[in-house]
Amino acid sequence: MLSRYISRPICFVRRVEKVHPTGNSFSLSDGDWSAASVELNEPLDEELSGVVEVLGMVSNKGTIMASAYNILREDKGIPFNLELYNEVLKVIHDFPQHYPFGIATSG
Amino acid sequence: MNSSRVQAYIWRHRRNTATVEVRLSSLELKHTFFFTLHSYKLSFNMLTKGAIEALTKCSNDLQNPILQLVNIRKIDGGSGPARFRLMMSDGQHSMSSFMLSTQLNPMAEDNRLAPNCICQLKRSVTNVLKDGRRVVVILDMEVVKSADEVAGKIGEPQPYVEGSMNKGPSRAFGGKMGMPPSAMPSTPGGSSKIVPIASLNPYQSKWTIRARVTNKSGIRTWSNSRGDGKLFSMEIVDESGEIRVTAFTQEVDKFYSIIETGKVFYISKGSLKIANKQYSSLKNDYEMTLNGESTIIPCEDTQDVPMVQCNFVSIADLQAREKDTILDVIGVCKSVSDVTRLNTKNNREVSKRTLNLMDQSGKLVEVTLWGEEAETFDGSGQPILAIKGAKLSDYGGRSLSASFSSTVMVNPDIPEAYKLRGWYDKEGHSMAGQSLTEARTGGGGNTNWKTLADIKTEHLGHGDKADYFSCIATIVYIRKENCLYQACPSQDCNKKVVDQQNGMFRCEKCDKEFPNFKYRLILSANIADYGDNQWVTCFQESAEAILGQNAAYLGQLKDSNEAAFEEIFQQANFHTFVFRNRVKLETYNDESRIKATVMEVKTVDHKEYSKRLIMNIRKMASAQ
Repeated sequence: MLSRYISRPICFVRRVEKVHPTGNSFSLSDGDWSAASVELNEPLDEELSGVVEVLGMVSNKGTIMASAYNILREDKGIPFNLELYNEVLKVIHDFPQHYPFGIATSG
Repeated sequence: MNSSRVQAYIWRHRRNTATVEVRLSSLELKHTFFFTLHSYKLSFNMLTKGAIEALTKCSNDLQNPILQLVNIRKIDGGSGPARFRLMMSDGQHSMSSFMLSTQLNPMAEDNRLAPNCICQLKRSVTNVLKDGRRVVVILDMEVVKSADEVAGKIGEPQPYVEGSMNKGPSRAFGGKMGMPPSAMPSTPGGSSKIVPIASLNPYQSKWTIRARVTNKSGIRTWSNSRGDGKLFSMEIVDESGEIRVTAFTQEVDKFYSIIETGKVFYISKGSLKIANKQYSSLKNDYEMTLNGESTIIPCEDTQDVPMVQCNFVSIADLQAREKDTILDVIGVCKSVSDVTRLNTKNNREVSKRTLNLMDQSGKLVEVTLWGEEAETFDGSGQPILAIKGAKLSDYGGRSLSASFSSTVMVNPDIPEAYKLRGWYDKEGHSMAGQSLTEARTGGGGNTNWKTLADIKTEHLGHGDKADYFSCIATIVYIRKENCLYQACPSQDCNKKVVDQQNGMFRCEKCDKEFPNFKYRLILSANIADYGDNQWVTCFQESAEAILGQNAAYLGQLKDSNEAAFEEIFQQANFHTFVFRNRVKLETYNDESRIKATVMEVKTVDHKEYSKRLIMNIRKMASAQ
């Protein structure tokens, strides 16, 4: 699935499946898609679980080279709702004219 | 000759003569004897002598009199059924004011009631009109001899004329009876026999019925430009049917305390009119209003009067019915919620409880109970609940409400209840059921969501009444000047007190002076969303919610620590809430302005808000 986005920056929100013992990478899954692998610049310095938002580029191998990640807590504050998030994503993709997300390149 | 059964037919040939054919029947012998009688007494033995006089005088002694039909005339009923007017004779007297009750119309229409036929009057009621004239309404009658079996008019009946008439009821009974109306026989309802509810119609006003009260509403009062009024209504039932009864003003005072649901009463002399089906699901074309002449007397003999009449609608069929329909339902109370208390617009508190009702159709519907019924309802053990006169609403799709005039019965002693219990114990209890009422989101369903720009574009508040709506907006400014006032320290009084400058504060409303006061908030704030902004006024509760502090503390801070006081206002800025607002156009000295007041402030339920936005987006997209 990620093959479509090779060499493109993406924002990926998924549930953490497994963390590699070295802490340098982890896998994401949400049941629909096959597991996606995320590689980090530096090893993890905290427990990673639940839903995370990963920002990075898709490599040639189809893995995500993460430049940043955010844990979206489902138990604290205003709980994150993955289902609703998916609904919103569909809306954003269905109406690109109203949601012009894009990276503006200067020069 | 042995005595044997004799069949005798009286044949009339000529006036005052009769021919009698007598047949002696036995297996061997059949003889026919003919007699010709010149006495007209024999012919009159067939008709009940004195019946006309007795009927006219409303005598209760008459038992199934036999009369001859002299003439019958059809009266066009206009929009209602036709009426037939009959002239009847007992051989001595005739009377032309007999009215056939509409349920007997077929007898006239198929010519069974032809002139000269002999009839037996089984049930009738004599009504006295305002001018003293009598009308006998025939409720049940049998033709014992058809017209072609009768030779002609029996006797020389003279039109019956009462002793005195046309001077009003006090003289209507004439010298013979000699009783003024107040000393009339003590049988309830006085001169009339008991009539069935099904026979009541607007053309007679003097009747008595015996019925059980199946439902009694509370007293409803109102106040409008024409003055004050009050009413209560009830539904009553007897063997023949049911009808709705309403009492206004003085009749409320007279009868409200006498009426008890479940008891039987003799009711007489109400006014009948075409029923307003909007308020009642009863099967009757008419409804009754009690007036100054009406009487209600308790009845002890209640054997034959049924308990209740219900026309249950299956829960599955509710989908197809129109909203605001009044109907009867019965089902198993599958689940019930706790009692909650709401504040009405008039700041009155009312109790409310919702429950889910399920029947054999497998469908569920949410039912709302109010007031005392909500408080006392016990839903434990999944009881059978029947409601007569529930109101169908389109809230959440389809839902029911036990209104002011509904009757709620828990585990009623009726066959449908037992059937339901049997079904539920066997299979119903394991069914999840499909609900006709969609689950409400946290916002409390039916919320009127608007944006601030809508206030102007939709001219909210411009009508006669204020408009209420909810919106999600962010606080952008709060005026801290004059946000606090000194109020009367009494519990329920919030009136501003006057500083007497001597350490005492006077409240004009309570007409008392106090050595203290309590601080209360009136906040003027500006709230904004993506489209517009709006100045709103917030009172105590919503103000405290926005500022995050109570009025007393703020008052104290204002006097002691100006900087801290200001800080609170700064901190309150740029918070987003759900505001429930009231808007109304107000005019002061030729200037009209929208006045917006915050009724309630709540935190935003982001999940609900997001869902609503997505739904709106999809709706807008599909509408294009």
